[in-house]
Amino acid sequence: MRFKRFAAAAVAVVAAAGMSLSFAAPSQAAINYCKVTDLKSTSNGMNGLVAAAKKEGQLNVITLPRDWANYGEAMDLFSKAFGIKINNDNPDGSSAYELQTIATATPDKQPDVVDIGVSALNTVVGAGRTSIFSNYKVQTWNDIPAEWKDAGGAWYGDYNGIIAIAYDSSVSPAPKKISDLANAAYHGQVALGGDPSAAQEAFMSVFAAAIAKGGSVTNIQPGIDFFKTLKQNGNFTSVLANGANYVSGAYKISLSWNFNGPGAIASAKAAGKTLKYVIPSDVALQGTPYIQAINKKAPHCAAARLWEEFLYSENKGKGSSKITAADKKLPGQALFNTIMGGQNIFVSGGATPITVKAMTKKGLLIKAPAGLDVPKTAKLVMPSPDNQAAGKALVTSQWPNL
Amino acid sequence: MAKPLSSTVDKGVANSGALVSAFARQIVPIAPILVLIVVFLIWPIVNVAAKAFEDNNGNFTLDNFVVASQGVYAQAFGNSISLGIYSALLASIPGAAFAYIIESRGSEFLKRIINSATSVLAISGGVPLAFMFIAAFGVEGSATVLLKFIGLDLYASGFTLFSYWGLVLVYCFFQIPIMVLVFSPAVQALRKEWTEAARSLGASKWQYWRHVGIPLLFPSFSASFLLLFASAFSAYATARAMTVGTIALVPLMIGTLVDGNVIVDQFNLGKALAIGMVLVTAVAMVPYLLIQRRVARWQK
Repeated sequence: MRFKRFAAAAVAVVAAAGMSLSFAAPSQAAINYCKVTDLKSTSNGMNGLVAAAKKEGQLNVITLPRDWANYGEAMDLFSKAFGIKINNDNPDGSSAYELQTIATATPDKQPDVVDIGVSALNTVVGAGRTSIFSNYKVQTWNDIPAEWKDAGGAWYGDYNGIIAIAYDSSVSPAPKKISDLANAAYHGQVALGGDPSAAQEAFMSVFAAAIAKGGSVTNIQPGIDFFKTLKQNGNFTSVLANGANYVSGAYKISLSWNFNGPGAIASAKAAGKTLKYVIPSDVALQGTPYIQAINKKAPHCAAARLWEEFLYSENKGKGSSKITAADKKLPGQALFNTIMGGQNIFVSGGATPITVKAMTKKGLLIKAPAGLDVPKTAKLVMPSPDNQAAGKALVTSQWPNL
Repeated sequence: MAKPLSSTVDKGVANSGALVSAFARQIVPIAPILVLIVVFLIWPIVNVAAKAFEDNNGNFTLDNFVVASQGVYAQAFGNSISLGIYSALLASIPGAAFAYIIESRGSEFLKRIINSATSVLAISGGVPLAFMFIAAFGVEGSATVLLKFIGLDLYASGFTLFSYWGLVLVYCFFQIPIMVLVFSPAVQALRKEWTEAARSLGASKWQYWRHVGIPLLFPSFSASFLLLFASAFSAYATARAMTVGTIALVPLMIGTLVDGNVIVDQFNLGKALAIGMVLVTAVAMVPYLLIQRRVARWQK
């Protein structure tokens, strides 16, 4: 507590120093970052952005679980390096919650940035709609594949995951592929992380099962049938796959995004359990990337833009535990270059960063945690947003009668 | 309550000052609760009702109700209503018997303990309750393991917690305490003098119950039953944690539509379903109100 206060005081001093610096440089005070669509268009680039973000002192994020794609580390590092307090509203909330908050929250409670699913994105962008996002192109803009960004810079994909099998080490035999889950040895042990008509992870798990059982991205029916079979033979239990239920022994095997792996493995270990992850050998189902965007009503325009620059940075650098007091005193650009980039933070969280191709080419990609890397032989499949819309109609009508 | 106002009017002293002060006497003390009702009940319902008739672009439509009354949604209403009825039946009878035994036979000390315990249990629910049952009666739950140890293999006998009847069982856990809580005052209101009067007139125990006890308790019993129905009909978090949507229930469908990651293109269908629930509850409340009026008359 005392330490925290001391730290807060230190941050305040640093922020104050930043403020006086910014007053000293008159050109900076003139920049209205709410209007900035590209760092190149500003006179003092990253130094100016960092100074302005520090001055704002806060960043409102929304529905970012700490265990999810390593967001915990991303938030810690950003907060520590730049001395910016992060307010994370409803960490376990959904994409719909994010959009509703933008529609209804008071100005100071508005999120600065969002991380939403593609199907949610489709309800707010497109012809005839006024964008609720601010256009902004990060420095690594060209490394984001064209199909996963808005040409104007309103939104951009950030990372995606692959459906993995998560299983307790006591399970025998160890599952290797999705079709293994019908094995009678797994009686009452298989669970999903939610209702597939509501939770994207569960929905994509059904898609993965469909492809493993002879279906395709345009035919999800075999996946629903597979879970029906699992329910009939007693393998599938409709308990929610989450940490507490796993630890209590309510289930032992679930389908899960690989980027939930590191957090889940650590939590399991703390509870005295050994949780393992494996990418199924019959199908490596890739989720559609999650989407980043800056809220048009963002109360902290500079911090929001700095957060995006940070998330899309491809740097190999220092993590939150390695940052020193001296690092924090560095000018904006130098500090930014010192810390680990968000794209690599996603990698260490088991996720696939959106700029993976460019990073591989540049040799900037760090190594993924064991078991979470995608085998080179894996059959990669990604249902398009249209495939998903068709699939969800079927799931909505059939899942309640599983 | 209504007497001061009507008597002033009856006497023809219809001076407006008196009326205003009578009005103030009645309204001012309950103003806070009125504000609460308007802000947290009426205003949201009006809002939801209005939106239920809008499509995604804000134009008038009846489509939401058409969809809400068909297929899986119609089935959800059926399931939710029957779940409400079964769990109310299974909880109200033992709950009433329990309340009677405690109130008529229990010591003061025991009554106090039961009172506190039921108050706590009646508000248990949601994810913690589901987790409690999963930890006890899940496939590897402690109670399941214990029963297996003494030779009773629950899951081999076809039992599963994660089914319609599993939900009914879990709901009983908070429904029975609610019943004890709301039914005890009715039992307390049964005056000892009535038993004595009946006995001195030569009534047998059976006759006392047949002609005095049950007719007096029945209105409270039905009212409590309806309360239990409403509480199971609308329960959400427990069902969600235990079924991951594999049973069609209206509250779960509303949750999916309003707060799901996957379906967000039908904003107002959930609102039509919510209005459906309001209607079902309203229909259930009509007999409740009628019964309450009778009870109030007797208990004067």
